[in-house]
Parts: sequence; structure tokens; C-alpha cells
Amino acid sequence: MSDLRRDPIVGRWIIVDTSHPKAPSDYKAVETHSPLGGHCPFCYGNEMDTPFEIDSIRDPQTQSNAPGWQVRVVSNKYPALRIEGNLDRRGIGIYDLSNGIGAHEVLVESPYHHKDITDLSDEEAEKIILMYLNRSQDLARDSRFKYVMIFKNYGPSAGASVEHPHTQIIALPMVPKNVLDEIHGGQKYFEFHERCIFCDILQQEKEEKERVVLENDDFLAFCPFISRFPFEIWIMPKVHHSHFSHLPKQSIANLAIILKQTISMTKKLFGNISYNYIIHTSPENGDTESIGYHWHIEFMPKLMRVAGFEWGSGFYLVPTPPELAAKYLKT
Amino acid sequence: MPELRKDPIVGRWVIISTERAKRPDQFGENFDPGPPELTPCPFCAGNESLTPKEIFSIRPKQIPADSPGWELRVVPSIGPFLRIEGELDRRGKGVYDITNGIGAHEVVIETSRHINNMADLPREQILKIINCYIDRINDLERDKRFKYVLVFKNYGWSAGGSMIKHAKSQLIATPVNPKRVKEELAGSKQYFEFHERCVFCDLINQELTSRERIVLDIGGFIAVVPFAPRFPFETWILPKKHSCDFAALDNSSRDNLAEILRRSLLKLKTGLNDPPYNYVIHSAPFRRPKPGYWKSIEQDYHWHIEIIPRLTRVAGFEWGTGFYICPLSPEDAAKFLREVKA
Repeated sequence: MSDLRRDPIVGRWIIVDTSHPKAPSDYKAVETHSPLGGHCPFCYGNEMDTPFEIDSIRDPQTQSNAPGWQVRVVSNKYPALRIEGNLDRRGIGIYDLSNGIGAHEVLVESPYHHKDITDLSDEEAEKIILMYLNRSQDLARDSRFKYVMIFKNYGPSAGASVEHPHTQIIALPMVPKNVLDEIHGGQKYFEFHERCIFCDILQQEKEEKERVVLENDDFLAFCPFISRFPFEIWIMPKVHHSHFSHLPKQSIANLAIILKQTISMTKKLFGNISYNYIIHTSPENGDTESIGYHWHIEFMPKLMRVAGFEWGSGFYLVPTPPELAAKYLKT
Repeated sequence: MPELRKDPIVGRWVIISTERAKRPDQFGENFDPGPPELTPCPFCAGNESLTPKEIFSIRPKQIPADSPGWELRVVPSIGPFLRIEGELDRRGKGVYDITNGIGAHEVVIETSRHINNMADLPREQILKIINCYIDRINDLERDKRFKYVLVFKNYGWSAGGSMIKHAKSQLIATPVNPKRVKEELAGSKQYFEFHERCVFCDLINQELTSRERIVLDIGGFIAVVPFAPRFPFETWILPKKHSCDFAALDNSSRDNLAEILRRSLLKLKTGLNDPPYNYVIHSAPFRRPKPGYWKSIEQDYHWHIEIIPRLTRVAGFEWGTGFYICPLSPEDAAKFLREVKA
């Protein structure tokens, strides 16, 4: 038998296999990888192979676009959006379009080609989060941008085209559909309950405990009851904040640590697998603080192929119940 | 310059970015063949004992069920995610909602011959498959526990296909309406309330006027690359005549649907090196009497088929945000597909 579970935020249903749940060793087709190396535009000494540096954290005596940095942000060499120009939104018959104004940046997480965040020291990992924050705040100052999306594709089957660990940042002139769905869902819940749905989820997960995998003073990491993917993990700030860009400076260290630990736990079970994570946050240049939305990180190890059923229906099949996934992760 | 385009039905934005300029024919690369094929093939004539007992088949009357001599068979899935037995039990758990996994999961074995791609079947056989979909949907509709039947196909390993390399599609009857379907219904309802016209009918008219995204135009159906595609070479097949319900398709139109589906799939196969693909039939949910609920659906929704070749990897970013980056313009994709001889 299976459970059908409804996501209380967006109303999506997931199907959880509770009668023949898959153990970690049942994910046979999982692709792990070892870095191939070779010439890399993100390594020390090759700074001129990338577009010019937008920001970096580097040793005081060093110059931009030269070695000596710890975290470096450059424009994407093949940007999906362009930063120059005015937004020109128009219609063609029933259709709507706009020129592709936006920012598409790449954040090189460390100078080490072979080190993922899990191999970095806590201080090194903190610099990544600090730079996420700096870029979010800087891009939000551009009033053309309504949303700043921070996401990481790690490993070939998660969509990474360059091996050297990096994160992408995209600033968009409109709010993505899934984000709008989450915000509307959060608002509806708030109108009825006068409480934030994410705060309620956090509370319930803390009480039920069985899906919680990590906790520190500022954050909780858990396999959500309504996971779309097996071993999916959400990292959520315990105090209500709508925007990642409003993260207090004193929480940076705890976020870096819990993110690093979350990924380490998963790698302990599956080896060096591909994964994605996305920071879900509120739109910028609109409401300053929204009461119905709560920023968080969604981490998804790439264990399955998403097929026709999933994208056609919006249903997701989850072969390992999140309760069990949490148990495996903690052992 | 990249372009941002909005899907007029569900309001999803996509980025059309041709920055890493690839020619259309360069998308057809070598695709992951996946693990070796399962032998003997349980879907071939003579191997009927390797599947669960058949639910439906097209075969001469004198030949008993589960023996050779059939042209098409429907069997329950051997790894169903939903079970047919039991009562629906919907309940709450704190902020969450749960129901038990009641449903049906069936596999349509599309031919008794060992052919993998539907594109290689003759039109007459595809017509039988369409007839079978409609029969099964009508049968499942009688079960009041079900709200929707999703009909879809996963062809090729990276499209979620299995180790059985024999043409098949799947039907899943669900006790709740899928989110994607609800989004389309809500979007088309909103459009109808404003314009008093069906958004899909308007879309068809506009596409027929401009023709730049039309791939095929055959007897009452069009195959078109949508204005805001999520994937390169995404193709939609739409009936020109307004109807919300695929299962209500009249007999005389089914042959033309078989032909446009066959040729759309064959163009992908020929032009793009036999790529993996999915298709999904998007149709209205069962409209059982419920006061005030389905008032407008017959006017504002329009059934169609969405075909998606799996040529690019979908990263977590796309799933997480619903924001897709499509590396090929739909106008170029349609032009390429029009020119493929099939």
C-alpha cells in the first residue's frame, strides 16, 4: 500500500511507497562521479578564462582577476539573461513576452577543484554563505529585478557543466511560477489561520521528531513529510524571516555548518552523488517582509529519473518514505 | 538577445536562450541506452504468462484471454504505485493531508510484435491504441472513487522507460486531481472569464494565422511547437474542434489523430536520432454532478497531447522554480521538424 500526501503549501500530491520502501542500497542506478580534472577556468591562475570578476573574497594584497581569492563571482560565460537594457514587456496576440533582462552569475565556491563544500573547513564554507548574502543584497538593489534565485547543480546528472564546485545566481525581472504558487499558498493559509504555514510545519516537525535530521541554534534540517524526491531535505530558519537576503550576520556560521552537514550525511550514504539545492525566498522590490512566507533551502540528491508521469501530472512518486530516509541519514 | 516568454495558460515564464548556439540537428546526440534489455520480452506474443492477467485485449472472439493471437493487450502494472482494492480514507495529520493510495495502474501493450517505438507502428495500429485508451478511461470512470485518468508514455531510458523495450503506454487512475491539471483548468477558466473565449481555441487560431510554429496540420488537428516551450522540440497536438474531453472524441476523428500522432513521433525519430520522449494526454477530469463545480469546464478547457523529447538534462533548478531555460527557439524547432521527411 502507499500513502498519498498533500503538500499544504501548493496543494501538490505525492505518492509515498510505505509497503515496499526502498533502502539506500536499492538505488542501484545512482551515478557517483570522481572529478576528471584537466584545464579548468575556475582554478587559480586561470582567472582570465572567465568573464571579469563581479565580487570576491580575497587576500588583502591581491588584485581582482588574479589568484589569492577564496570565493569568486563572475558573470556566466553563456548567460541565459543579459544585464544591460530596459525591460521591454509586450504582447503578440494572446502571448506575452519580454526581452531577457536579468543577471546570471557564477559563484566559484573555493579555489580547490576537487573539494566540495563537504571537504571545506567551516570558515571556508561560511565565506560561501557570506557571498550568497552579498550578491542577494546587491542584486536586490536593482529595481528591475523581482527575484533572486540561488541554486547549485553538483555533478553531471544534476546538470553541472563545469566540474569545479560552483553555485549559480540568477536575478529575474519576474517571479517564477513555483515561487508564486508557494507564496499564494502561504497567504491563503495565513488568511485563515493568521499563522505562517512554514512556522507551523517547523513546529510539527520538531514535535514529531521522526523526520528531523539536524538542528542547531538557528536552523532545522528535516526530510519533509511531503518530499517530492527520496532523501530530500529542507533547511529552515527557526525564526520567521521571509527573505534570505535579510539573514542576520550572526546566523551565517550556523547556516554554513548545517548545509555542510546535510550534504555530508547524504554523501555518507550514497557516495559522491549528484545533487541540487535551491534557496527559496520571497520576491524583492515588492513587500519588504511578508508574513505568509518563510525562506528555506531545498536540497535534492539526484537518485531518480523524473519521468512523464511526474511532469504531466505534478504527482511525485517517493520510493523511500521521508520518515525512513531520516532514519537512514542519522545512522 | 535572450527572450522571456509566458505560457498563456498556466502563466509559466520560460527563457529562450540561444546563447550556446546549437543547430537544431545537433540536439539529436547519443542517448543513454540504460541497462540491457529484459529477455525474454514479457510483452511479446507467446509470453502472456509473464504478465499479470489481462484486463482488456483486442483479439478474435474464439481465442481465450492470456494466450497468443491478440493485437493489443492491457494488463495491471507489476509495480503499481496505487492499489485498486479498498475504500478511500482521507484524513488530516496536523497541517498535512493524507489519503491511502487507492487507484489503478495499467499498462497498454501496444503491439504483439517486438517494436519499441510507437513511431514505427502503422496508423491502423495507433488507431487501435487510441480506441483502447478511450475504452479504458470510460471503464475507469464508472468507479466513483476515481477523479482522473492520466494517460502517458515513457519511451527510452532517460525518459523513464523500463528494461522492456516493447511499445507500451500507461494509464493511472487517481482519487485526487493532479496539480498540473488543476493549474491548466484554473488558467483556462480565468482566460474564459475575461474573454468569453477558450484560450486554446485562440491559441490555435493565432498559430494557424502565423504558421511559424506549426509542424503538421492534418484533418482537424494541428501539431505545434508552443510559443513558450519548456524543452527544445516540445510539440503539442490539439484538436481544432473545441472539446474538453479526449474520451469524447468521435469515431471519425480518431483516424486523423492516429495519423498526426504517428507523424509527429516519426519526425522526432527521423530528425533527432531516435530520442527518448514522453507524451501525456491532458484532458478534463471526470465531471460528476457537484453543485456549481464544473459549470464552465466544457467551455473553457480544451484537451490536447503534449510530447516532450528528452534531449537536455532537466536540472534541479527547473523542478524547483518552474522556470525553464530552453536553448532553441520554437520557431527554429518547428521549421526543422516541418522539413524532416516523415
